[in-house]
Amino acid sequence: MVSTAARGRAPLLPRWLTADHPLPWLAPMFVMILAFGIYPLAYSIWLSLHQRNRFTRVDEFSGLANWVQAFGDQRFIDSLLVTVQYTLTCLVFQVVLGIAIALLLDCERRGYGLLRALMTLPLVVPPAVTGLMFLLMQDGQFGVLSYYLKLIGLVSPEAPILANPRTALWGVMAADIWQWTPFMVLILLAGLRALPKEPYEAAAIDGAGFLQCLWHLTLPMLSRVIAVAVLIRTIDLFRIYDYVYAMTAGGPGTATETLSFYAGRVFGVANFNYAATLSLIMLIVLNVACFTFLKLARVRF
Amino acid sequence: MQGSPASRLARDLAAWLVVLVFVFPLFWWVLASVKPYTAIFAQPPVYVDFEATAENYAVTIGGQSRITLEGGVGGQTGGASSYYSLPSIRDSVIVALGSTALALVLATLASFGLSRFAMRGKDHVVFFVLAQRMLPPIAVAIPLFFIFRDLGLRDSHLGLILAHTLINLPLAVLLLKSFFDDVPVELDESAMLDGATRFQVFRMVVLPLVKGGLAATAVLCFIFSWTEFLISLLLTTSIRTIPVKITTFVTSTGTEWGLITALGSAALVPSFIFILLVQKHLVRGLTLGSLKS
Repeated sequence: MVSTAARGRAPLLPRWLTADHPLPWLAPMFVMILAFGIYPLAYSIWLSLHQRNRFTRVDEFSGLANWVQAFGDQRFIDSLLVTVQYTLTCLVFQVVLGIAIALLLDCERRGYGLLRALMTLPLVVPPAVTGLMFLLMQDGQFGVLSYYLKLIGLVSPEAPILANPRTALWGVMAADIWQWTPFMVLILLAGLRALPKEPYEAAAIDGAGFLQCLWHLTLPMLSRVIAVAVLIRTIDLFRIYDYVYAMTAGGPGTATETLSFYAGRVFGVANFNYAATLSLIMLIVLNVACFTFLKLARVRF
Repeated sequence: MQGSPASRLARDLAAWLVVLVFVFPLFWWVLASVKPYTAIFAQPPVYVDFEATAENYAVTIGGQSRITLEGGVGGQTGGASSYYSLPSIRDSVIVALGSTALALVLATLASFGLSRFAMRGKDHVVFFVLAQRMLPPIAVAIPLFFIFRDLGLRDSHLGLILAHTLINLPLAVLLLKSFFDDVPVELDESAMLDGATRFQVFRMVVLPLVKGGLAATAVLCFIFSWTEFLISLLLTTSIRTIPVKITTFVTSTGTEWGLITALGSAALVPSFIFILLVQKHLVRGLTLGSLKS
């Protein structure tokens, strides 16, 4: 074992190759990230700067043609808008519902431990399965959710949720909100547990009500926790693919076509260079958004 | 906020109601898997009034022929093997175990290094690792498709293991670093004063103290790989992990809901067992070590 190079004896190896230097500890991870993270990224950039000649089937250098194409591509712009709408809507629902449910379940009485455990179950369902789960419930003919929504007149029998361009995105978002609201609940519950008691005692003496405490004490003290949760959710929401694939395949029309899904579809029709360009644009948008957020919210890992 | 018995009761009711709403889709899913064909499509929805059957499981996991099912999608015969999903379960287990093991080895070494050494630009290294978490799966899968084709790794267990390991690394490294950071450095220093080498400190002093953290990290990596979809979809054709396999049951001639729910329910079992095992470290895991419960 190289890294146990003896102390005291004359060193056999330069120090940066021994266990007393961080390099050997970090090197295997870096090799992995370089080989399967950075190199593929460089490969993507190369792909995005080339176009495949239809006849010779050889990639030919095309400069920024793919990039220029993307910004004139209405379908790409639409998918970007769908993705932003999806991300923001789900985020609002998950944060608001998450706070409300966390406050509701933050209780020491009997039974609440079980409720909190049950609440974590949706988190580990494969998202593709979640998509199918909601597809089954939202089916226009025999879906259980559709049935009750029809009973109370929210959905008309002629326009099933997922077949109607106006409601299809909401149908997909329902799956996301169901699966990831528990993520917010869990993280906020941990945040609530860590809050100091004294400010609440002082507020109670001053006669503050529940809503005043929530607005002036709880939410400000939870802001860091909420920031971390929002950051992680934003990353995942922005690259949403699985639910769309399982539930609507982007349809009806392109009503639920997100960025990931559009890039995947372009890849599927063998336009690899353009698909790589789209995925890079997505990566850039996401990174700029996240790093801005990290700086503004001062989140540290 | 203890309040009167009435308000306590109201809170209990509200809490149960909310949780039931969140459990209902799972209940409905598992229920459909034991329903006979006609009960799945019944209107109004059927809750208890049906004869439970294990047929869907017999086809997907037992390998019984699909033709023996009553009812069924009209005109579609044969193809029994395509609903037989035990090979998919095997593929999923191999990939999940392999990528978990590899990610754990790489991450344990790296996070010990990040936790124990003062170095210039450490924040940048942590940032760099975190940035990998922001790679959209589609941006990983597209170039890997070509790289793996050239290396002969396309449609192989090893290729999928490597891809999942990459996606799991940020979680594993940042999470384990937070567990290593919990172990006081003074322990290392006193052991080294007693003549232990750095590697001995790692193996015999620090590692045993983060066993719980290692287990939690392993479980979360496993669950991630078990549920991953897009990369498996694009990088494999004959190897089918469960989430990819299950979407192939949705066909143009009809959707085999009985078989889908049976395989889907079976896929939930390991996830549910594991998530209950790591409840204590779940928050830390989900936030990549930045929050503790």
